[in-house]
Amino acid sequence: MSSDPDAGAPVAGAVDDDAPAAAPTSAAATGTLTNPRRVRHRARVRSLRGLLMASPPLLLIAAFTGFPIVLAIAYSLGHTGGLNSTTALIAQHQHVKTEWWGTLGAYREVLTNERFQRDLRVTLLVTVVSTTVVLALALIIALYLRLAGGWAAKALTVVSVVPMFIPVVIASWAVLMFYAPDGFLRSLFAQVGLEGPTFGYTVTAIIIAQVWCSLPFAVLMCASGVQAVPDALIDAARDSGAGLVRTTFSVILPMAFVPIVIAATFTAIGIIGSFTVPYFTGPTAPTMLGVDMANYFTAYNRPQQSIVMAVVVFVAASLIAVTYVWANFRSSKESGA
Amino acid sequence: MRTLVKVLISLFMFLLAVFIVGPLVWLASRAFAAEWRYPDLWPTGFTLRWWRVVVDDPMVVVALQNSATFASLTVLISAAICLPAAYAFSRYQFPGRRFMLVALFAVNAFPKMGLFVALASLFYALQLMQTVLGVLIVHVLGTVVFMTWIPAAAFSAVPRSLEEAARDAGAGPFRVFWSVTLPMALPAILVAAIMSFIASWDEAQGTYLVGAPDYMTMPTQMYSLVLNYPSQVSAVFSILLSVPSAGLLLLVRKQIMGGQLAEGFQIK
Amino acid sequence: MTLARRSFLSLAAAATAGVVAGCATKSTEIGATDAPAPTTSGSAGSAGSSAGGGAPLTVHLSGDTNMQELWEKALVPAFVKANPGYTVKVQLDLHGERDAQTQAKLTAAQAQNQDAGIDLVDAGFVQTLAEAGIMEPISVSNVPNLEGIPEDVVKAGNGGGVPYRGSSVLLAYDPEVVKEVPTTLDEVLAWIKANPGKFTYCPPKSGGSGGAWVTTVLDQNMDPADAEKLRTTYDQEAMKGWDKGFGVLRELGPSIYQKGVYPNGNKQVLDLLSSGQIAMCTVWSDQFISGQKSGLVPERIKATQISNPSFTGGAAYLGVPKGSAKKEHAIKLVDFVLSAEAQTLIANQIAGFPVIPLEKLPAETQQIFREAHPDVLRPGYLDKVGKDMNNEWDQKVPGN
Repeated sequence: MSSDPDAGAPVAGAVDDDAPAAAPTSAAATGTLTNPRRVRHRARVRSLRGLLMASPPLLLIAAFTGFPIVLAIAYSLGHTGGLNSTTALIAQHQHVKTEWWGTLGAYREVLTNERFQRDLRVTLLVTVVSTTVVLALALIIALYLRLAGGWAAKALTVVSVVPMFIPVVIASWAVLMFYAPDGFLRSLFAQVGLEGPTFGYTVTAIIIAQVWCSLPFAVLMCASGVQAVPDALIDAARDSGAGLVRTTFSVILPMAFVPIVIAATFTAIGIIGSFTVPYFTGPTAPTMLGVDMANYFTAYNRPQQSIVMAVVVFVAASLIAVTYVWANFRSSKESGA
Repeated sequence: MRTLVKVLISLFMFLLAVFIVGPLVWLASRAFAAEWRYPDLWPTGFTLRWWRVVVDDPMVVVALQNSATFASLTVLISAAICLPAAYAFSRYQFPGRRFMLVALFAVNAFPKMGLFVALASLFYALQLMQTVLGVLIVHVLGTVVFMTWIPAAAFSAVPRSLEEAARDAGAGPFRVFWSVTLPMALPAILVAAIMSFIASWDEAQGTYLVGAPDYMTMPTQMYSLVLNYPSQVSAVFSILLSVPSAGLLLLVRKQIMGGQLAEGFQIK
Repeated sequence: MTLARRSFLSLAAAATAGVVAGCATKSTEIGATDAPAPTTSGSAGSAGSSAGGGAPLTVHLSGDTNMQELWEKALVPAFVKANPGYTVKVQLDLHGERDAQTQAKLTAAQAQNQDAGIDLVDAGFVQTLAEAGIMEPISVSNVPNLEGIPEDVVKAGNGGGVPYRGSSVLLAYDPEVVKEVPTTLDEVLAWIKANPGKFTYCPPKSGGSGGAWVTTVLDQNMDPADAEKLRTTYDQEAMKGWDKGFGVLRELGPSIYQKGVYPNGNKQVLDLLSSGQIAMCTVWSDQFISGQKSGLVPERIKATQISNPSFTGGAAYLGVPKGSAKKEHAIKLVDFVLSAEAQTLIANQIAGFPVIPLEKLPAETQQIFREAHPDVLRPGYLDKVGKDMNNEWDQKVPGN
């Protein structure tokens, strides 16, 4: 499937083609770099050149996202002066710093707020349920493609990737209309004289739309991971008498562990901070924190509290991301070094 | 037993297909429907007049044109900035390399809602408000992860032996890059370009902050368009907004399915 | 591989073509050519338009589509006719969906003395920004037509907001279902409980018709003096009196449409009434009247005002950002909107209540509003108080 012959075995680390440790033989062969001081010097130059080449996108992000984030966090701690004075000018219910480092007043207010706790629970629930469903569907599709193959499996994979190319606003709108009181589902039930369920404007609708939007990425990750498991291993397991289920759980899934973890973490991070999907498809209350943030910002004119929620979501996303980083480094340690 | 499994699988596939394609078809068919009453599964008639409503609106035409321009420019600029970085991430060892790779993504996970005022201040200070460049910066920010991660993985996957062979044959480093490394990484770069195009095509919140009212794009108009017109008209918009992405998908389906995207998300 | 390279090349070609052929176009310039009067570049000498004639004034409008029609089809053409050489562009932000960005932009621009590209704002946050000193100070000296507008209404604009139209909220109902029309708030509440699922309103943050409903129920259940105070001052002590009223609203939950669905936006609620899914709701007077005119609201639907207490209404405010380079021209437009001519247009087009003294208006317009006028401006809460009410409603009413 993959055009790359050794895609299955991830390349370990950045292979530094003529860094001293990696390629002593080639250096010796060319005969120009036998002097250890020159070798070290050259490594430093290369390292510097790498840093220079890698920095433009990083500087861009640091200036236009990182810097505003620092400002926002300072503001959430009650630093209302300086560059934050613009926001502070129109905000209501602000907590102004009491110590040199600030105050936790806004955090205390938000974290003890019942609605926040309720919506945090909803947010986590939607994230966990949607991620689980997405992962289950993606794995079924990936395994079907790997073990059965054929045009039907390929077609299914293509279909499941379609949502990736539909803008989220439209996706939410389409899902909402499909499950609305006058939508397809209820029309279908009405054909046979039944009263179908109304999912529009419910937490169920949020989950449905989240699954719809997140499925493609998970399918691609899982399919790629499962495809990379060599035929020989599967055949060996089958030959030694393992059934389909055992082969799956003891050979295929462990081999595809890293891509599966990546699929799960990115899906969860995308869902936990989402705004458009719950805004369009969900109920007025309870809702997800993304919507609360927008409400606090505009409808209640409390930007500070809104930013506190943003920080909470960010921390939650970071915790999920730690799993991702761990899985990645574990894999490169295994295959590399 | 065997047939039961087959039936179950077919049923699963059918349901999944309905789950995914159903909402799109249900929405899109409204673009051609004259009138649609609950609980009919079929409209009362077909018409193209909703398309005329849309095409005759000069704001929509401008928004489409702006969306296309911004997305194309974003891809080019993002490629210019990020591809060298991707190469560096793949080929050079330098302190903080992995940290930087993760940071590129992590920073994007902070919800944008809290950053508007700081961003607005920054853009005013730099005289970027209501400028094409300002909008482009906002768009490029959203593409950096794709444009760096995916090509970096592809560069890493190019076998060293090929490059060394070319070098042994007397090619200089640029020649090696141009005729060996780049062509082999091209499918991944293509995937990255298209993911970036779609990210830019979708960006609404930041564009509104920096671009409005001068530079409106399809997504910034979308909210009004969805709720403002009869649902048939919003269906037309939806199709207009989805067609470019879907077309691009057809172009790179092999590369995306082949794991180029997936490779990019594994940091090494 | 060759396929990939070919498709890459074609993508690059497409991108370049997009750049060459397309080029980002200013959406505002399109609007300018749309406006009735062609740009006769001010210096050519058309009366009074000198510098601002060429570049269009931008009006930022945060609200519903009927307001967009008012501006684009009535006010702007009349203004341009009276002042040749001007062009005015109206930018709608439906339901104030992107108010966060707009406010961020206006405050940041003001902090750095820059032009945010918005010359006139018609939005709920005008008073807040006026209080923060971001709006140009307004008085009779720069807006002569302010003369004669009730003082407390002007004062609620915090020195930078100009009241330009009033409207009230009415009770709309479907006579086929509602046989005995309630006349007091108590009767309405009793009807809702007796007919579960047939009433709803929008969350106060998403539309004023819901806000008026909530305000009215709160008013009925609190100390009248405190309620009065909240119309002019931000008093957190007085707000504590809301608890009982929110309790009433919460208990109403199970009797609301679909056991507690509150659609986002005035229009969405009215749509439910029009399509027969509910039988009663609160509605903006102007939206109801223009809806019936356009056929969006069927003939059979009726509307009435209740008493004891009546639903609140209030004035909408305009503001001119201090940073606007064209603020003199924008103020001229503001003054025009308060002229008898424009106020008559507002009355006719959207059934908006005039804010200027009725004597200045034509006799037939006077006739329509004579009876309603005193009642109309039973004002809602101060803008900042309203924000807290939005918050508490979200917290205490839905989903419980």
